[in-house]
Amino acid sequence: MKRRLINLFALLACTAVVFGCSSSEDSSSSSSETASASASASASASESVEEVESLEGTVEISGSSTVEPVSVRVAELFEDVAPGVAVNVDGPGTGDGFELFCNGETDISGASRAIKDAEAEACAATGVEYIELQVGIDGIGVMTNANNDAVDCVSKGDLYALVGPESTGFDSWSDANDLAVELGGTGGFPDAPLDIFGPGAESGTFDSFNEMTFKSIAKSRDQESREARPDYVSSGDDNVILTGIQGSDTSLGWVGFAFAANAADVKLLEMDGGDGCVAPTPATIASGEYPLSRPLFIYVNPAKLADNPALEAYVDFFMTEVSLQDAVTEVGYVPLAAAEMAATQNTWSSR
Amino acid sequence: MKIGSTLNDGKATDRINDEIRRRNSDPRGIIFRTFLQLGLFLALLILTVLLVDVVQNGWGTLSTRFGDFLSGTLRSRSIDEKLGVHQGLVGSFWIAVTTAIVAFPIGIGAAIYLEEYAPKNRLTRFIEINIRNLAGVPSVVYGLLGLFIFVNTFGKWTGGKSLLSAALTLSILVLPIVIITASEAIRATPQSLREGAYGVGATRWEVVRRQVLPYAAPGILTGTLLAMSRAIGEAAPLILVGAVTGRLGTNPGFLDLGALKERFVAMPIVITEWTQNSGRDPGFAGAAAAAIVVLLVFVLALNSIAILLRNRFEKRRK
Repeated sequence: MKRRLINLFALLACTAVVFGCSSSEDSSSSSSETASASASASASASESVEEVESLEGTVEISGSSTVEPVSVRVAELFEDVAPGVAVNVDGPGTGDGFELFCNGETDISGASRAIKDAEAEACAATGVEYIELQVGIDGIGVMTNANNDAVDCVSKGDLYALVGPESTGFDSWSDANDLAVELGGTGGFPDAPLDIFGPGAESGTFDSFNEMTFKSIAKSRDQESREARPDYVSSGDDNVILTGIQGSDTSLGWVGFAFAANAADVKLLEMDGGDGCVAPTPATIASGEYPLSRPLFIYVNPAKLADNPALEAYVDFFMTEVSLQDAVTEVGYVPLAAAEMAATQNTWSSR
Repeated sequence: MKIGSTLNDGKATDRINDEIRRRNSDPRGIIFRTFLQLGLFLALLILTVLLVDVVQNGWGTLSTRFGDFLSGTLRSRSIDEKLGVHQGLVGSFWIAVTTAIVAFPIGIGAAIYLEEYAPKNRLTRFIEINIRNLAGVPSVVYGLLGLFIFVNTFGKWTGGKSLLSAALTLSILVLPIVIITASEAIRATPQSLREGAYGVGATRWEVVRRQVLPYAAPGILTGTLLAMSRAIGEAAPLILVGAVTGRLGTNPGFLDLGALKERFVAMPIVITEWTQNSGRDPGFAGAAAAAIVVLLVFVLALNSIAILLRNRFEKRRK
């Protein structure tokens, strides 16, 4: 019995040691960190490779889960140049990302759409400014089951009739025919169950899809809602959407192009933007021929640049061709065309 | 005593045994037994299918680059040779250690008080019911609690969104489970043990220390172990208190205490992230399966330590 009591005290002693160690070690490491940070801050006026190599610090990135892999890939390449810089990347979503960004909690926020007025106001209210940099393009792929021979190509009018705000309650493809014809589409959809799967309202893809597909049509038709019908199966996880589309022969759904391009057992639909049907490919998305494509942005907090030279070095690296061309392609997105890339680089260098 | 003596007669024993055997051929009994066996079989079947599926999917990664996988980090592409679970293992390790240090003493202490010291009145019963309710609260609610308490209020000491905040949050999350299981183990201690000890003049503290705790130790250990496994498997609350999903800039070692105040990842987060990535890059599916195998082995290793300890306690109890 006595031995057990001794064991207990030994455990308590261990605990004390563990916490003692943690506090002492932490204070020493943080003081050395600030020392090195101030040293590199004074030296960062003129940049050289050696200085970047010896840089230390942390860069916090949050925002869109779509942009997340781009920021991560760039950070991985940056690691070889500046091994002392720790880049943390998170991807809760564009909206959640801006909330953190406007609170000053993050240095960079990824976004799969431009900042909304309400979000810009929230940033202004807390005094956080931002530099908007477009870093790539993502398309939205509209898909149906691989066994569905009835549909190959749709127009925005067709999608509005099938999934738009006025389609609530349509449970057969043919229910949408009248509306599709009215909107200049072809109609002629078969009388088959319409099973819709798509991203939920928390997703940046949901916002982009509404914006690109429904907004102008809904506006011209004086509709109060400019969003997709509420009665479809929604998920934040692209895999769930994909499984749904694969599970029904007459399904309809949409996800980001990077995901759709790799998806098996589904048929990617062509889009008719008025000049004939265009299949979604990296080339048609970059040129803007394919109607459902969206820009990918990073937003940088300029106030953080002053006291974090690591942040400036990271964004500098992000603006090189290695990042904007190679990294963007490697993670499955479409790089900017030469002119747009130059414009982005120019925005950064002339900040 | 009379019955005892007739039983000593060999023939009578045989007759009784026959009688018992015949009753076993009761058809309803057989159906019930089959039903129970079917239940056990189904549970084992599901477990086996899961295990085989996961090991099969993860085998490619585990057999070719096991060492690199254990020392690697979160990466953006599945073909990256630095892809691995080291950061996740470090996070989960510290979560397990902190839970053991924080939740177990507090939880077991609360259980001893409730069972041995607290008066049995309405207030005690009210507290007990609430502890049971707390054990059923969804984990994400604890995440919000942790965000408020450890990240915001005590951020100065925990480092804000940090591994320490997460580990403390999960300690609170498992506290009700520890209290409930420890209470039940203490309650299962025979009253005669206590009465015997009181009878020879032991104080309450001596009774608890020398009779109740040694008897209840194996049960307490089993319960706390389940609690620790639960903590290791949680993902939802971690997202709220500072786990990163895309990339963690540092790759600290297991004994790097400075990392406790930094952002982190844990195994469940790694698995979730890679499963989601598999849509964009199908190779991540295999990495996710391999990470699941690593997590299973990690939990099994912790479990076996606890089982060994429990066996030692059980021997002492005898």
